[in-house]
Amino acid sequence: MTLKDIKPGEKCIITNIHTNNLRKRIIDMGLTKGTIINVKKMAPLGDPMEILIRGYLLTLRQAEAKTIEVARVEG
Amino acid sequence: MIIKVALVGNPNSGKTTLFNGLTGSNQSVGNWPGVTVEKKTGKYYLDHYEAEIIDLPGIYSLSTISLEEEVAFQFVLQKKMDVIINIVDASNLERNLFLTHQLLETGFPMVIALNCMDIVKKKRQNINVQQLETMLGVPIIPITASKHQGLVDLMHQVEIAKNITRLDERRYDSAIEASVDRFTTILGNRFWAYRYFEDGIKGLYGINIKLETIKLLETVRDEESSKYPLDFDMLLPNERYERIIKIVDKAWIRPDLEKQSTTDKIDRILTHKWLGLPLFAIIMFLVFFLAFGPLGAWITEGFVNLIGLLFAWIIEGIEALGMSPWVSSLLTKGIFGGLSSVMGFLPQLTILFLFLSLLEDSGYMSRVAFIMDRILRHFGLSGKSFIPMLLGFGCSVPAMAATRTLDKIEDRRITTMIIPFMSCGAKAPIYAIFAGALFAGYSYLVVFSIYGLGIIVAILSAILFKKTIFKGVASNYLMELPEYRLPTPRNTLLHTWERIKGFVVKAGTVLLAAFIVIWFLSYFGFMNGTFQLLDEAEIGYSLLGSFGKIILPIFTPIGFTDWRSAVAILTGFVAKESVVGTLGILYGVSGDVLQNGSLLFTNIQAAFTQVQAYSFMAFALLGLPCIAALSAMSKELGSKKWFAFAVAYEMIVAYLVALAIFQIGSLSIGEMLSVLVAIAVVLIVFFSIKASRKRKKCVGGACYMCAIKDKCHNKPTDELPKSS
Repeated sequence: MTLKDIKPGEKCIITNIHTNNLRKRIIDMGLTKGTIINVKKMAPLGDPMEILIRGYLLTLRQAEAKTIEVARVEG
Repeated sequence: MIIKVALVGNPNSGKTTLFNGLTGSNQSVGNWPGVTVEKKTGKYYLDHYEAEIIDLPGIYSLSTISLEEEVAFQFVLQKKMDVIINIVDASNLERNLFLTHQLLETGFPMVIALNCMDIVKKKRQNINVQQLETMLGVPIIPITASKHQGLVDLMHQVEIAKNITRLDERRYDSAIEASVDRFTTILGNRFWAYRYFEDGIKGLYGINIKLETIKLLETVRDEESSKYPLDFDMLLPNERYERIIKIVDKAWIRPDLEKQSTTDKIDRILTHKWLGLPLFAIIMFLVFFLAFGPLGAWITEGFVNLIGLLFAWIIEGIEALGMSPWVSSLLTKGIFGGLSSVMGFLPQLTILFLFLSLLEDSGYMSRVAFIMDRILRHFGLSGKSFIPMLLGFGCSVPAMAATRTLDKIEDRRITTMIIPFMSCGAKAPIYAIFAGALFAGYSYLVVFSIYGLGIIVAILSAILFKKTIFKGVASNYLMELPEYRLPTPRNTLLHTWERIKGFVVKAGTVLLAAFIVIWFLSYFGFMNGTFQLLDEAEIGYSLLGSFGKIILPIFTPIGFTDWRSAVAILTGFVAKESVVGTLGILYGVSGDVLQNGSLLFTNIQAAFTQVQAYSFMAFALLGLPCIAALSAMSKELGSKKWFAFAVAYEMIVAYLVALAIFQIGSLSIGEMLSVLVAIAVVLIVFFSIKASRKRKKCVGGACYMCAIKDKCHNKPTDELPKSS
């Protein structure tokens, strides 16, 4: 399962990062293995997506989201 | 003693606010990441020492991807300062401490300025500064940069910290530090060892290194990487964040995080699925409606009358002293004619700039980038490109500088080339005059349509560039959304004032000089064999008149029938305001200024038809940018070839659009309709052919079982087509 499959309002935890494009930036901005992501919403046209991570709001495209492997977390 | 202090921190953490607070400067600040794109220096004095403060563009990490980040990174790496002040946004502690850790690895003297303590308190949180200090091992001073709190303490601490270097500290997991040790033995420097660990050979950019050393490093790196289950480039960031979590858990006392923040509440509306885009359109319409609609026009009328009175009073005073005819002509026709027509639009520009500042300071800019990204992607751009484009409504020069926040050179080039089509503030008076004089009653709709025309041409150009020159290049998008902040009146007014001041200063210096030259060229000339002062009925004989008549044929196809309009449009090269000023000099003054005031509107009505006026506005909008914009453009494009292309492209587009407007607009209604229908038919046929071809090509997914997969241009996908 990737970050792209998580619906707004759901939470997930990062299990691996397969990103190539913007890889280092994504990692440096706090998307590391074991980090909890709170998916907030999709932009009005369905892309990019807005997530809450490490206490701040980050927006990224589905193209990158689908290279981030996650597991859904309850609650 | 002079201490050099560099301000380093995440984007939007308040570096420039601190810089302004320390040095008393008025550098522009805003609530979006990437306001500062160049380093700036200022001075700070404390009783016995002087500090040179260097404000750097914000960076998230020492591994940089965009141009403006490179500036900050190189500065830190080349150790051009004595002390680093690392600004940490206390309301966003976790991510900010990532850069802090990278800076600690440099071993450089450092002080942390913990900013935004007021926001932390407002959120009923608390940060145990002492605890944080012990765990990080550097002095921390809590400050609130916007209220100038804690600045003296901070600068005292800088002086103390100057002599403390912290080399070779070990913070991370022993296995990781052992790997770093191995790199350190080869490189002879622990900091570079960390850089190499993290970014590989790319991290060593800028230092001299032998080929054998590189080979040795790579071998060791391969050996080391086999020891870890995780990808090698994720190890250090992971480790830093794990350490940060431990620190934050102890030092940051937070109440329940689940509570909905104000930002959430605002965003529920402003980036709403259905409301987001319409609201953005409404906000932009309101801004232009307030500036150019009935309200703006009404204020301008009053202001113009006021300026008229002021000038009348001055002229009367000088006339009482006795004036030679040429002084009287200079004052009334040159200076009054030029300046009054430019300055008259100050109120409308103030309204426009005020709203642009509000958009920047509140945090809405980044949301616009977020909701527009999907659309801009079609044009090969990223949502982030929209911020420079919006700034282009103010002035092209800072807008082009703002393209440095984009991380692909193609994005930067396309955005820079289309920014001149975003109508800047200085062009607004041109529309205000023509729309006001010839489209009374619905003038603001005409102005709005001109802005719309600019945006459409910008978008079509971006598509054209994308389809031809930058074929197949995809843009990048990854952006933080800052929390909304209520713009402080002081900040917003300051911001607006800085922009207005630029306008007024230009009017008093460059434009004034230009107007005097234009006046001289248009009111002196050879008549009856002698060089003499002319009056307004005779200006056709002037130097400028003769020149204007020579170049007029170039402009005849786009509807210019008067040499004065050709001359006015060319003076826009100096600054766009001078187009209006020149119109003022050439059309504005007739008869007795004291009695009539400016007759610009009436004379423009007599000299232009509606179609001619619209063609003139379109050409002024799209054509030759002013000299300041040209130099910014050449700087940002970074190549003479690109620059020449961009200028030629803009001139050709302007001419063609104005030509189309004038030629189609001059037809009778019946003819116009048939032309429009013909264009529509051609477009529909073109697009339906294109669409049917596409449909044949792709069945939407499951490429591995597709018969034409080798000829298909779409990205291959393994997903099955959605069942219908």
